[in-house]
Parts: sequence; structure tokens; C-alpha cells
Amino acid sequence: MASLARVNLLPTSRTLASGVPLAPRINHAIPTGLGGGHHHGATGARSDVPQSFAFKSTVRGHVGRTNALPTSSSTQQRFFSSTPTKSDSHPMAAATGVHRQSATGVPDFSPYKAKNAGLNRTISYFMVGGLGVLGASGIKSTVSDILSNMAASADVLALAKIEVEMGAIPEGKNLIVKWRGKPVFIRHRTPDEIDEANAVDVKSLRDPEKDDDRVQRPEWLVMLGVCTHLGCVPIGEAGDYGGWFCPCHGSHYDISGRIRRGPAPLNLEIPEYAFNDDDEKIVIG
Amino acid sequence: MAGVHDLIYRTFFKRNSAFVATCFAGAFAFQITFDLGTSAWWDYHNRGKQWKDLRAKYIQAGDSDEE
Repeated sequence: MASLARVNLLPTSRTLASGVPLAPRINHAIPTGLGGGHHHGATGARSDVPQSFAFKSTVRGHVGRTNALPTSSSTQQRFFSSTPTKSDSHPMAAATGVHRQSATGVPDFSPYKAKNAGLNRTISYFMVGGLGVLGASGIKSTVSDILSNMAASADVLALAKIEVEMGAIPEGKNLIVKWRGKPVFIRHRTPDEIDEANAVDVKSLRDPEKDDDRVQRPEWLVMLGVCTHLGCVPIGEAGDYGGWFCPCHGSHYDISGRIRRGPAPLNLEIPEYAFNDDDEKIVIG
Repeated sequence: MAGVHDLIYRTFFKRNSAFVATCFAGAFAFQITFDLGTSAWWDYHNRGKQWKDLRAKYIQAGDSDEE
């Protein structure tokens, strides 16, 4: 098989009369076992034997002299190997099974080319997006930390609410507690009082409000003890309607705290409250 | 398999609006799972020592008045 082989040589090299190229700095006698991963053969070459490529009678060597260092892998094989070059001696040649040789000496990079460009693209975007997710969550937690730093602290919030023991108020009794500087009426209503509050015709009221809307549990009525007229504190279990009576200007409230007679325009206000059944307490605030 | 990553690319990455929205939604989901996971680990690490583990014991003994 006569083939034309192109070999790039160092510019300083020349061919001796024996056919061996003169390469002053290159030691053709590569010892056995040297070669860092490259397996060039089991036995080392004798230094006095001309290299095998000097005797390739079937190859009519075309020696191109260019001002460039040899870059082709095949050229390097020929320079440094002590055994005849095999097609699978280069690691990448073994991987691909093809050992193509470019006419210009440019190495063949096709083994390095991505086999699945779409998958690589998806992975790249996934990495970018993953960094975005981590960064966004970091920014979010920083911002929420700064905002929670400005919010009221737990001791201030604890001062803003009071707890009342439900067991301390017997049925049919009132309790007045102070909450944020204002009195709060808590009444443990009897079933009769609940029925009385529900029996009222809502449409006839000045400030129409059903009893269900004013209580969370019918037996517990929690109201702000400030008359909606001019801010006096009404008296419990008084007045014409069995509820509260404001002595200042004579406003009568019923058993649900709704205004029934007198100058006050609105029903008694309902604060925010919640029941804590574990500790049997009403938490106001 | 070839269709899966292509579907992911077309769904989440192709449009920038979808990409950014996915990042933000993922940040919320990541933070929730991270918080839940780390607090679960913390509770596991300190099991039997926290108030919520000991509360029943002391409430029973103190007869609901002393805590």
C-alpha cells in the first residue's frame, strides 16, 4: 500500500545520508517503561539501530519544511516512538476507532465534540438557573430579616395583649380588665341571655348587627368598655335592656352590647381576641 | 431520554420570562424545604430536651396552674 505521508519536521532538522533525520536535541533511544501513560511497546529500542520510519520503503516520504513546530499527533508519534506506529497507539484514536490525518496537520478534534448539544445546553442553563435560585433565596431571606428587625419585638407584643382565665368568671358575671389603657368587658352569658340577644329583631336596631357577628362563642361576650357616644365607661348589669348603661348621657346597651336607646350612635366595639383552650384563657389583643 | 431535556429546555429556559419566574418560584420552594429540613434536623438532634417535648410532663404535675 503506497501512501503519501506528510511529516512536519523541525526547521533545524535535516536528513542524513542514511535516511535518518538529524534532530540534535531528540533522543531516539527511549528507555523501557518511560512514557507516562503512553504504551509504546514492551521492549526498548537500541540506540544504534536506525528508527523504523527510516526504512519504510513503501512510503514515499514527503518532507514538508515549515516554520512551525510539529502539532500533528501522528508526527509526534513518529518522532518519539521507537516502535512502528500503530493506528490505535494514540489514546483518542483508540476511542474513536478512526485515525484521520489532516492534510494541513491540524489535529482532529472531532472526538472532543459534544455528542448531545441539546443536553449540554440544558445542563448549562440549569446551572445558571440554580445559581439564580440560590441567589434569590439569599436576597429574600436578607430582606425579610431586615424587615423583621424593624417589626415590634416579642416583649412589646407580649405587653400588648392580656390573658384572662375563663375559669375565674362564673356564668352570668362580668369582668372588667384594662387593656391598652381602656377597659374591656368580658361577660360569661347564661343561655337565657343568649336567647334574649338572638330574639331581637336586627332590622329595628340603630346599628344593625346580629349577635352571631359580635361573638366568637355565644357564652363569651368580649367588648371594649367605652361608650361610643363620648367615651365614658358604661355600668354593667344596668339600664332598660339588661345590659350596660352609660351614666354620662344615658345610653342603654343590651346584653349583646348593642345600642338601644340614648345618644350613642354605634354598638360597643369588639376587640381582637382569641380563645386558648389548652390553658383555658381568653387572649385579648 | 432525548425528549426530556428538550422538554425542560423549552418549558423553563427558552423564554426569559419563564426562566426568571422559575428561578423566583424555585427560590420560595427551596427556602421552604430548606427551613423545614433544617428545623426537622434540629428537632431530631435535640429530641427530648425541648419544651414541647417536656410540656406534658410538667403540666400534668403542676395541675394546670403552675407551669
